[in-house]
Amino acid sequence: MAPISIRGLTKRYGNVQAVNNLSLEVAQGEILGFLGLNGAGKTTTIRILLDLLRPNSGTAFILGHDCQTDGLRARLNIGYLPAEMGIYSDLTGREVLDLLAGLSGHVVDGSRRGELQERLEFPSSDLRRRLREYSTGMKRKLGLIQAFQSDPLLLILDEPTEGLDPLMQESFNKLLVDAKQRGRTVFMSSHVLSEVDRVCDRIALVRKGELVLLSNVEELRKVAARPVRVLFDEDVPVTANLPPGSEVIETNPRSWSLKVKGPLGPLLRAIATLPVRDIEIAEAKLEDVILKYYRDGAGDLHQ
Amino acid sequence: MKSAALLFLYSLKRARTLVITTGLLLAALQLVLIFVAGELHSSGAFDQLSALLPPFARELLGPSFAVVMSFGGIVCLGYFELAVMGALIALAVTLATTPASEVETGFMDLILARPLARHWIITRAIALTTLVTAFLLGLMVAGTWAGLEMFAPKGVQWPSPRLINSLAGNLGTLTLSWSGVAMAIGAASSRRSVAGGATGLLALGTFLLDYVARLWRPAEKIAWLSPFRYYNPFELIMGNPLPINNQVVLGTIAAAGFAAAYVLFARRDISH
Repeated sequence: MAPISIRGLTKRYGNVQAVNNLSLEVAQGEILGFLGLNGAGKTTTIRILLDLLRPNSGTAFILGHDCQTDGLRARLNIGYLPAEMGIYSDLTGREVLDLLAGLSGHVVDGSRRGELQERLEFPSSDLRRRLREYSTGMKRKLGLIQAFQSDPLLLILDEPTEGLDPLMQESFNKLLVDAKQRGRTVFMSSHVLSEVDRVCDRIALVRKGELVLLSNVEELRKVAARPVRVLFDEDVPVTANLPPGSEVIETNPRSWSLKVKGPLGPLLRAIATLPVRDIEIAEAKLEDVILKYYRDGAGDLHQ
Repeated sequence: MKSAALLFLYSLKRARTLVITTGLLLAALQLVLIFVAGELHSSGAFDQLSALLPPFARELLGPSFAVVMSFGGIVCLGYFELAVMGALIALAVTLATTPASEVETGFMDLILARPLARHWIITRAIALTTLVTAFLLGLMVAGTWAGLEMFAPKGVQWPSPRLINSLAGNLGTLTLSWSGVAMAIGAASSRRSVAGGATGLLALGTFLLDYVARLWRPAEKIAWLSPFRYYNPFELIMGNPLPINNQVVLGTIAAAGFAAAYVLFARRDISH
């Protein structure tokens, strides 16, 4: 039973097609990055999963329960972080956490909350303050604590690192890895491609409401072009015999900057006779592939 | 159920300052009115005021004028004074539009992402509005009796408990009818200001309709549309019993509004 199963989901707002025939499954224990530009349909999909929005057609299941017809059971084991935490500012952080834990119907283990506070550097003294005194980052941390505090089976996170500083992003990534290790499933939308690259097992990319890419991150990384810089001992003209998959980005008399897709062997063979002093090979960036999809939509991944 | 109770308590906690302050002010107004009524009675001002009024004006105002221009009438004034009615209805509308406010702020996302059925959101708002209305009217009634004990001149006739209870009960159903209207509008709205504003305009319009209909006969044909038509304190003060029909009409408006709120909120998309 997949923690999330979406079949042919469609949501229209008048003439605007927010989500179009979206089908997707998230496996237990995986972290799936749900990507797309603003207005691509990410948040709409998440809101349908939570039964906040009603689809025009299609079905969505959470932990085997239909989100629309059996929504209460579907939402029994979810931790949800919205893109914006809509909480009344006259409440203290502790009141917010207690209220949301109570509404979940779960008894929150104090030590679990304490651990989350510690990892997100959120002292108890801050929980006694009213939300109007919180910074954006503090509100985000509070949102993360409320989502993780009952240790739910499924975490649905909408732009979770928005407003977090780099150190906190690192702590958040570790929380995700821990959750995954304990068999929890994470479905998170994000704009931060480097974050997705680091923590996600798979990515689903939506564009204009349609799923245009669903891939394992490792596989995607394999087909992503790697930046390669070749340094020479003497001036070398650019050879016309570079193998397919090698793209020249910049040339200088004693160095070439290339992007190479696939194995490096053909390139190494092509430059074997040249006076190579050094070769710098950087890790392939997922961003390059994803940005292509943002721009161009669906296409052959391997082209 | 436990989650719904928690949400109710949370909503009550958030509203407590506003509710208690309003309740104390309304109760204090009863004390002030009774103090003033006692002063006017002791100085014989009621008789002087009646004598000052020309006969044609007395005829225009009808027998209710004489009743209001008495100690008992002034004591009861707090139950149909425009500011009091406005405060009660405004507070009821504010509480009834709590769901719209929660949608607007995004708090509803966090609530409904939990295993809580949507009908509890409306049930909570109904319970909150009803309880607060009863609490405020209870404070007003308590203020009335406390004021009479403290400030009523000796020998003066007090209004009967039945009259005070009838006035409070009728004002309560009027308030609930407007909370029903506000809740129905608020259940379909994503902005509290829109729901509150629309209800406020509707209340003002129907109040004026009722007012005009009392002075201008042709308007009577459509005056039945106004909920204010079914709150007639002067009839009660003059000794008539509380008209059950009026209570039924106001109760039906409230019930219809609540029912519409359940349906609209269950079917709507929650987006802010």
